[in-house]
Formats: sequence, C-alpha cells, structure tokens
Amino acid sequence: MVGSPVLFVAIPLLTAFLIPLFAYIWKELVRIIPGIVILYLLVLSVSLYGQVLREGTIVEQIAGWAPPWGINLVFSPFTGLLSTLMLFMAFIIWMYSYRFKNIDFEPSKKYFILLLMLVTGSIGIVLTGDIFNQFVFIEIMSISGYGLTAFYVGRDSAEASFKYLIMGSISSMFLLLAIILIYSQLGTLNMADIASKAHLMKPEFKILALIFFILGLGIEAEIFPLNGWAPDVYSQAPGPIGAAFSGIVVKAGIYALIRVIYTLFDVEGSLQFLVIIGMITLIIAEMAAIRQDKIKRMLAYSSIGQMGLVLVAFGIGTHEGVFAALFLMVSHALIKPLLFLSGSYLVFNSTEKSIKELNGLGKFMPLTSFLFALGAIAIVGLPPLSGFWAKWSVLTAAANSGMLLVIGLVLAISIVEIVYYFRVVNRIYFFKKEESVVPKIPTINAKFAMVILAVIIVAIGFYPDLITSYLHEASETLLDKGNYIQNILSVAQQVTQ
Amino acid sequence: MDQVKFDISLIEYGFFISAILVIMIGLYGAMVKKSLIKIVIGLSILESGVNLLLITIAYVQGGTAPIFSPGLLKDMPLTVENIKALGAGMVDPVPQALVLTAIVIGFGVTAVALALVIRLYRHHHTLVIDEIKNLKW
Amino acid sequence: MKKVLVLLLLVIFGVYLADVMFSLEFGRQVFTDGVRDFYLEKSPLDLKVSNTITAIVVNFRGFDTLGEVTVLFLATTAMGGILYKKRHAAGTRSVLFSSSKIVMAGSKILFPAIILLGVYVFIHGHLSPGGGFQGGTIIATGFLLMLMAYYDYSVNHNVLTIIESLAGITFAGIGLMGLVKGGSFLENTMPVGVMNNLFSGGLIPLIYIAVGFKVGAELTGLIYTALHEKD
Repeated sequence: MVGSPVLFVAIPLLTAFLIPLFAYIWKELVRIIPGIVILYLLVLSVSLYGQVLREGTIVEQIAGWAPPWGINLVFSPFTGLLSTLMLFMAFIIWMYSYRFKNIDFEPSKKYFILLLMLVTGSIGIVLTGDIFNQFVFIEIMSISGYGLTAFYVGRDSAEASFKYLIMGSISSMFLLLAIILIYSQLGTLNMADIASKAHLMKPEFKILALIFFILGLGIEAEIFPLNGWAPDVYSQAPGPIGAAFSGIVVKAGIYALIRVIYTLFDVEGSLQFLVIIGMITLIIAEMAAIRQDKIKRMLAYSSIGQMGLVLVAFGIGTHEGVFAALFLMVSHALIKPLLFLSGSYLVFNSTEKSIKELNGLGKFMPLTSFLFALGAIAIVGLPPLSGFWAKWSVLTAAANSGMLLVIGLVLAISIVEIVYYFRVVNRIYFFKKEESVVPKIPTINAKFAMVILAVIIVAIGFYPDLITSYLHEASETLLDKGNYIQNILSVAQQVTQ
Repeated sequence: MDQVKFDISLIEYGFFISAILVIMIGLYGAMVKKSLIKIVIGLSILESGVNLLLITIAYVQGGTAPIFSPGLLKDMPLTVENIKALGAGMVDPVPQALVLTAIVIGFGVTAVALALVIRLYRHHHTLVIDEIKNLKW
Repeated sequence: MKKVLVLLLLVIFGVYLADVMFSLEFGRQVFTDGVRDFYLEKSPLDLKVSNTITAIVVNFRGFDTLGEVTVLFLATTAMGGILYKKRHAAGTRSVLFSSSKIVMAGSKILFPAIILLGVYVFIHGHLSPGGGFQGGTIIATGFLLMLMAYYDYSVNHNVLTIIESLAGITFAGIGLMGLVKGGSFLENTMPVGVMNNLFSGGLIPLIYIAVGFKVGAELTGLIYTALHEKD
C-alpha cells in the first residue's frame, strides 16, 4: 500500500487551511509549501499509477460505506493518467509562477491557495465516482477560477471574471437539474450504480438529463455555444493561470463530459452528436483565431479549437478514436501551457498585448522566442514533435472508421493553424523590433519550467512509444463500461453478503 | 368529493409548477437585466428555484421529518423492524442533505459575484452592463 | 426584441421541463431500491444519530461537506483577493452615521442571545433540525446586527482567519485520523454512545462543531470585508 487516492484531495485541502497560519510564521512558506505538496502528490500519483497498471483499479471508499451508499474515488488507468498529467502541469505552473511578478504578500498568499484549489478541484472531478460530489468539485474549481481571473487589479479582469461567473453559475444550475432528474428516477447518485440502472430510466428523463449535463459541463469543456468566456478569461488572467486553464481545467471538463456520455448513459446517437458539436467548435474557433490581433486571445481560440478536435476524436467511438483523443489531450496539455508561459513573457512589458508588439523579439529574448516557436511547430502538428503524432492518430482513427469528412476537416484546419501561428513566429524572428517594447528576461525558475516542457514535447515527438502503451491502457479502461461498474459495485456485494 | 380530489392534484402539480416558474424568473433576470446587481439577484433566484425543485422530489405522501426524536420512538426498542417501520413513513433525507450543500455553494458564488460587482463599480463608476463592455460579449 | 426571444426560449424550456416533471407523481417516489432506505436504517442503528440528514451530511456524504466548507473558504479568499487594494484604508466604512439609541441598546441585548442560539443549534445538530451550517449562519447574523448598529464596531480579522483555519484543519484532520487508524477517510472511529444523548454519534457532533465555528467565522469575515469597502 503506497497511499490512498483520497490523499489527492485531503492533503491539498489541509494545506489550504494551513497556509494562512503558516503565513504568520514565515511569509516565504506561503510560496514554498504548495510546491512541496504538489510535488509529493505527483510522486504519489506516479507510484499509485504504477501500482494500478500492475494490479488493477483502486476503488477507495470514503467514511467506510461501500458504494453506492458512500462516496467513492476511482483510481483507474484512465483517471490515474489524467491526475498524473494534471499534477505534473500543476508543478510546472507552480515553478513558473514562483516569482512571476513582484506582487504583494497578501495577494500572493491568496494566489497560491486558489491555484492549489484549482488543481484539487480538477483532480477531484477526475477521481470521484459520484455525480453530486463531482458537482461540488466543479464548484471548487470554478470559484478558484473566478478569483484567479480577477487577480490583477489593473486590467479588465473583473469583467472577464464576471462574465465567466454568470455563465459558470447558470450552467452549474443545469448540472444540478440533471442530478435532480437522475435522482428522481433512480434514487442513487453513484456513477456506477446509475450506469447499471440506466435502462430503468424513462427515455424522456434520460434525454433531458443528458441535455442538462451537456449544458452544465460544456462550459468547462469549452464546447461551441458555451465558450464565450474563454478568450476573455485567458487574455485577462495572469499568464500562468491561462496555462492552468488550458492544461488542467479544460481537461477536467472534457473528462466529466466523456464520463457522462461513455459511462452514465447509453443514449442513441450521442456519439454522432459529439462529432457534430466538436466539428462546429473546431471550425468556428479556428476561424476566430485567425482574426485575432492579441496573442493570448489567439491562443485561447486555438485552445477551444483543439478541444473541438478532442471531442471529434472521442465521437469516433472506437478504441483508436479514444486513443487519439487521449493522445491529443496529453499533447495539448503539454504544448498549450508552453505557449502561454512563453507568450506571457514575450508580451510581459507591452501595454496592448497584441501580436504587433512581438516584432523582432527573437534577438532579444532568444530562449523564450525559441520555446514559443517550438510550441507553435508542435501544436500545428508538424513532425517530429508530439503534436504530429496526436494528429496522425486522429487521422488514422478517422480513416479506419471511414469518416472522410473528419480527415478533410483536420487537414484543412491544420493549414489554418499553420497560417496564424507562423504569422506570429514570422514577426518574432524576421521583423524589426519596435522601440517602445522592453524585452523581459524570464526568471531562472520560469526558464527551467519552460525547458522541461519543451524537452518532454521533443522526447514524445521522437519516441511516441514512451506514452502510447499507457494511452492504450487508458482508452481500454474508458471503453470497458461493464468492468467499471463491476469494479465499484463488487465492493458493495461483498458487504451485503 | 370529486372537487376536493381535483384541488389536491392541482396543489400537488403546483409544487412543480412554482419551482419551475421560479427557475424561469431567475433565468430571465440573469439573461435580460442590464444592472449588474439585478443579474446577481437573478442568479440567486435561479438557485432558489433549483433548490425548491430538488426538495420537491424528496416528499413522500404523509411523510414526517427524517428525525428519530424521542417522541417518535416512544421507548420502542431499537430493532431493525421498528426502525424500518418508522423510516417508511419519513420523507427522503438525501435531497435535503444535497440542498444544504447546494445552498452553501450558491452562497459562495453569490459572495464572489458581489465582490466582482464592487470591483467593476470601482473601475467604471456604473452598474449598467452596456457601459462596461470593454471586452467583446 | 431580445426580451421576447429570451422569454420565448424560457417558455419552451419551462413547458418542456414541467412536462417531464409531471410524469412524476408528487409524493410518490418511483424508485424502489434507492439509497434512502439504507440511510434511514443505518443512521439510528449504526451511528446512533437521530437526525438522518445530519448523518448523511457529515458521515455518509461527509466528503461533499468537506468540499462545501472549502467552497466557503475559497469564497472568502477569492473575495479578499478581488477586493484587495494596495493602500489599505482600514477601518473606513462607506456609511459613517450611527443608528438610533434604541437600535444600539436593543442589539447589545440581543447579541449574546443570538450567539447562544447559534451555538445551541450547532451543538444539537445530530439530535434536532439544524447543524453546523445553520448555527454558523445564526452566529454571523449576530455579528451582522452589531456591525449595522454600531458604525465603529470592528472584528479582529486575524482572529477570524485563525478560527477559520483551525476549524478547517480539525475537519480535515478528523478525516485523516480515520485513515491513520486503518479505516477510510472520515470514518466514524469513535464510540457512538446512546441515541438521543448529547454525547452520541461519535465524531459527527465534533465535525459539526468545527463546521459551525468555520461557517460563523467565514460569514462574519465576508460581511466585514464587503462592509469595509469604500471607493
């Protein structure tokens, strides 16, 4: 026994409550402790993941009551992969933002508490096996998100945050409505129990609950009509928080949506619906991205587009499709934060944060510019970086299922992406620098964080086999619904016998 | 007799109808109103409506509060049969527990929303949403 | 135009939702093997807690409650972060006139009674309606009354922070204690006692007392932060 999955939630919560007390002892502890906690959890997650791959899924019951009566946490090859990925990204973001800007002590204390809780909420969403508990974690995540978005006083951040809050809280009410519909029919809140009894629900309840779930979870997953908040939030929030949103929060949203569609219900045609909604999201986001003149808004629209592609890949529904979607998620979670982190140093001292102000920075900020270019190459899917293999696996999955439209679309979108990313890279390297812009050299910890990400992207690009076996295992776990139900409810059967 | 029966069923539907009406009023307020404060109030009303609907599905006809108070037990021995017989006449406790959580979460969201409204007012000196649109909505 | 469109959409939504909900009969639950029967049976028999809702909130679904407490904690933290200003204008309030003598005298008399009621409610959370959240809210209303009656009434923010942190640590620590003892997180590891006694239910009253302190401190802090906001 290495540890238990409940520590991923309990220890950060304990730390968050402790941080205000530590602040009275030594102010620097406020910055150090979250990093130590995240690192410890990362080590724990890796070791638990290894154990899970050898011995099978861990189902952790809370308060000693077996599911479906108590809440349970599920650490399977699929959820373990995601939680490890999230904790890794959290560590990188912590390292980057250790001394991002010289902010006062009080705000920096709040910043690190909220950052820690953002990560905890996301991990809770992934690990929990109970829909109401998931709702609670979604709220933890989004309240931290609102607070972090409005963190800088000077900008229009409060407006972006308010917009996010209005959309977020309306959608969370829809989530609660979906939970009400399910409870009124089945009298249970456990995911595995719902999945095993889903055929007992009246069809109209099932369909309405699914619609409400999509409305409620789509906001975090950035699907088409619900993603109006994303560009504002990404452009107004502090740089590391943009990275945290694209690397951690969105992944949790996608996970929740996929869990509902793949495991909870078996509604006819929901997978085709995913493909359609993903395609619409992809097309609209990429068309919007090409028109942006601010760097972070462009990255935000690109992030929405990538999530659309992930949904399309999940919608293919075969093992290959799920594999491709997971590959895309992992590779996007590594690349987009790199772009955000390096991009926010590129526009560190500029007032408008627009692409024009990046002109000619390649000579003055060689490392940051190089990392940004590397990220750009990776995300458009040029070989030999990780983005290429992700897109390649989407193409093969679509080809094997005969979805020619998807193939055409992915290729067309790649060209659009090349146009707008290389417009930026071109400006960085081949334009003359504007007088007014003062280059800013990253701090040593930020450099270190970005270089780690870049090294991993290159490594996966040259040796994709490093992660493919894990991804195959994870997609198998997601698709094997019967096994999921049996894993969880067998605990209950042992109790009753 | 028929008349009475009709009335009762109307009242029963009334619980669902009123909860859904409250939800609709809240959504209308949050989506249409121009004042930031009114939008936040709309959100609060929406939350109340959803909570009302959640508590409505918990009701069991003729049920009492799910509390095994001394008056209810009346020196009965605590056996499985006694408890089961008493429990059958009680309303569903689960939605009530969920509503408690939902109310607290709604309170937290409202507090953050009001803080943001204060921030916005501090910057723009207005609460009308049309005058604050620096970002594209 | 926008109003009409929104109204039309809302009516469609409302009618659809009502149509679906009407297929449930009010007062008759359609499921037969839900989780409720288990809770109603185990709560008095295994946990010796007469208020089933408390048993669900604190024990069966205690993990939700930990999350809920965290949401409140985050709301205060986020509110402090959002409203932070560099130059601290401490002690200034937007309204600077005092209320009438009757209000001032009356609230001074009422204040201890309100606090007492709040404490009563959260101590008896496992026996009667109420609990930590309700009791904490009552306590906060006491402070709200004082803050409204006296414009120069102030609460020590550091004390609130410490109470908040300690109560949160107690909750999470009780949870981890179950894990340390070889059970699971938040497991009720203490003897449960006799039903309907004040000292019964094992860890449940302890957790609810911690929640009561935490909620009281947090709500007071929220009111205080919002009240001392001046532009």
